[in-house]
Amino acid sequence: MADTTGRAASATNEIEIKRLSKVFWQGDAAFRALDEVTIGIRSGEFFTLLGPSGCGKTTLLRLIAGFEQPSAGEVIINGRQVAGLGPNARPVNTVFQNYALFPHMTVADNIGFGLRMLGKSAAVVRETTGRMLELVRMEAMAARKPSEISGGQQQRVALARALAPQPRVLLLDEPLSALDLKLRKEMQSELKRLQTETGITFVFVTHDQHEALTMSDRIAVMSGGRILQSGSPADIYNHPAERFVADFIGDTNFLDVEIVAVNGRAADVRLPGGGTRRASLPEGLSPSAGTNVTIVIRPEHASITDEAADFEGTVEDAVFFGTDTHVHLRLPGESRFTLRRQNTGAGAVALPEGSRVGVRVAEGGIQVLRN
Amino acid sequence: MAVTQHIAGQGAQPDAAEPPLAAERERNFWKWLLSLPALLILIFAASGPLLIVVVYSILTPAEYGGVVWEISGRAWFQVFFRRDIFDPDEVTLNWSHLSVFWRSVSLAFQTTVICAILGFPTAWFISTRPPGQREIWLLLITIPFWTNLVIRTFAIQEVIRNQGVVNSLLMNLNIIHSPIQMMYTDFAILIGMAYVFLPLMVLPVFAAMDKLDVRLLEAGYDLYASRWEVLRRIVFPLVRPGFIAGSILVFIPSIGSYVTPRLLGGGRNMMLSNLIELQFGQGRNWPLGAALALALLVIVLVALVFYLRTIGGDEEKRHG
Repeated sequence: MADTTGRAASATNEIEIKRLSKVFWQGDAAFRALDEVTIGIRSGEFFTLLGPSGCGKTTLLRLIAGFEQPSAGEVIINGRQVAGLGPNARPVNTVFQNYALFPHMTVADNIGFGLRMLGKSAAVVRETTGRMLELVRMEAMAARKPSEISGGQQQRVALARALAPQPRVLLLDEPLSALDLKLRKEMQSELKRLQTETGITFVFVTHDQHEALTMSDRIAVMSGGRILQSGSPADIYNHPAERFVADFIGDTNFLDVEIVAVNGRAADVRLPGGGTRRASLPEGLSPSAGTNVTIVIRPEHASITDEAADFEGTVEDAVFFGTDTHVHLRLPGESRFTLRRQNTGAGAVALPEGSRVGVRVAEGGIQVLRN
Repeated sequence: MAVTQHIAGQGAQPDAAEPPLAAERERNFWKWLLSLPALLILIFAASGPLLIVVVYSILTPAEYGGVVWEISGRAWFQVFFRRDIFDPDEVTLNWSHLSVFWRSVSLAFQTTVICAILGFPTAWFISTRPPGQREIWLLLITIPFWTNLVIRTFAIQEVIRNQGVVNSLLMNLNIIHSPIQMMYTDFAILIGMAYVFLPLMVLPVFAAMDKLDVRLLEAGYDLYASRWEVLRRIVFPLVRPGFIAGSILVFIPSIGSYVTPRLLGGGRNMMLSNLIELQFGQGRNWPLGAALALALLVIVLVALVFYLRTIGGDEEKRHG
């Protein structure tokens, strides 16, 4: 996979996924939910599986948890093959999308459930439950039933319940999707805090790119049962290797350009205005000069300039967004380009429709795509 | 009605705006009018006969059936006691009646337990089928309801009688050499009742299981519970209401069962309904029949109250 942040660290990988596949049968029709996925998740990191619904991220999580058994491939947790082991024999705990709190038990009994099942003494259960209640700030609700607390509180209880047995890995299946925006923001930092405090490896599933970018140490972007790219949030955002990744995360300009020269991990590409600029190449792609490729330029990596423009465009409109203005341009060859201008306050130049402006792309702001 | 008022009161509280009185009155009028047929049926078809039974139980039996309008406590005395034929002053417990009471309660209880034990896996099986198949299985469960009870009971006879399916099979396999007597025993009655009333347990238990969120079971496994622990700590507590409803639905018709003990128990292994029928028929002792019928009613009510108290108290303890 296109993991550029060092793969030599496999010795400290908490979870190793090797060529893992899962096929679901519906009558005679096979649905390949997971297609030969290989990835390593490091000990103590906040790892996010990001992708649209149906991309296989939840299936991967369920295979790690042990709710499903793989059709092919291996799952190794803490150096141990877990094939054939049920969820109750794996050192991982799950926070479910809709929390799945036991409705007939109190908050405290929910949190203590895992410990009781592990055969811990009543004193240990009580002590740990108390500590967990404190950790998620739910001490006052210990005697309540799940139906008697709010959605955000249920979320905290679900977290505490999964953390109480001190698993090596915590799996989180879109845990924030049922919360409203404000609560979600709150829980995002709460989750990050818990992860830092406990040092437990978090594997977090989401379809929300903002959640993924703000919380994760590393992200794996999934689509069609495969991991397209994995890396740090900045890496994924700044250097998307595939069109899907670039499109799924953030706003993007795609331009079709010609490779002029290849120079190691970089290439010179000819921009619409005719000038050439240095662009980064994705891992595993070494095109020869003269081939056509697609490049990605993030809107905030381009600026309007009077001199040394890379290319020129005609203003279609400029939309004011408060902190910045989105300028939509038409380039020669009928392609469109959007750039984002920071509104610094100091006499912003008006951009009347139809005016021609020069565009300069920041250094390192051009990324070649694999497809 | 108390319930209606309660609901109306709750609805009115938050927005404090009382609905116009006239409209309220008109709505109440229609409510009453619409429930009138049901009320009439309840009063005349249920409460009326019950009243007649109560009155008959304290009258004197007429010689050829019917009653003489003369108040007497004899019928109630006879339910529990008997006088010696030669020495009327010697009073003993009426063991023949008491054994019928005991058999009825005991068989009804056993039937309920058997139905619960068989009903749970059945309901579990159905609720874990894919959606399309579930309806088919439910339909299969309810098919016996479409068949006449007498015919179903005769079918059981065919299976357990001395030359029946079970005995022939065992004898042909040389496992036994003479047929096992199953007909005309309490065991036969038990099999018959369990067979007839099983769907009444399966359906409410299935309904409770159907509402069970599979993720709760997954959460249980995830938190290191074994299959047995998941069953005991998550599934059972959550399908309890289904078991309670099913137990009541099975116990009440079981204790009042008439056809099954009549056909499978023979003349000697009577249950309460058979004893009651005997008093109104050959026995020509209508007051005793009436008193026995009321005793049955009291047993059912006491059992029900006791059962719900225990369950309710238990619930209070776990939830409080």
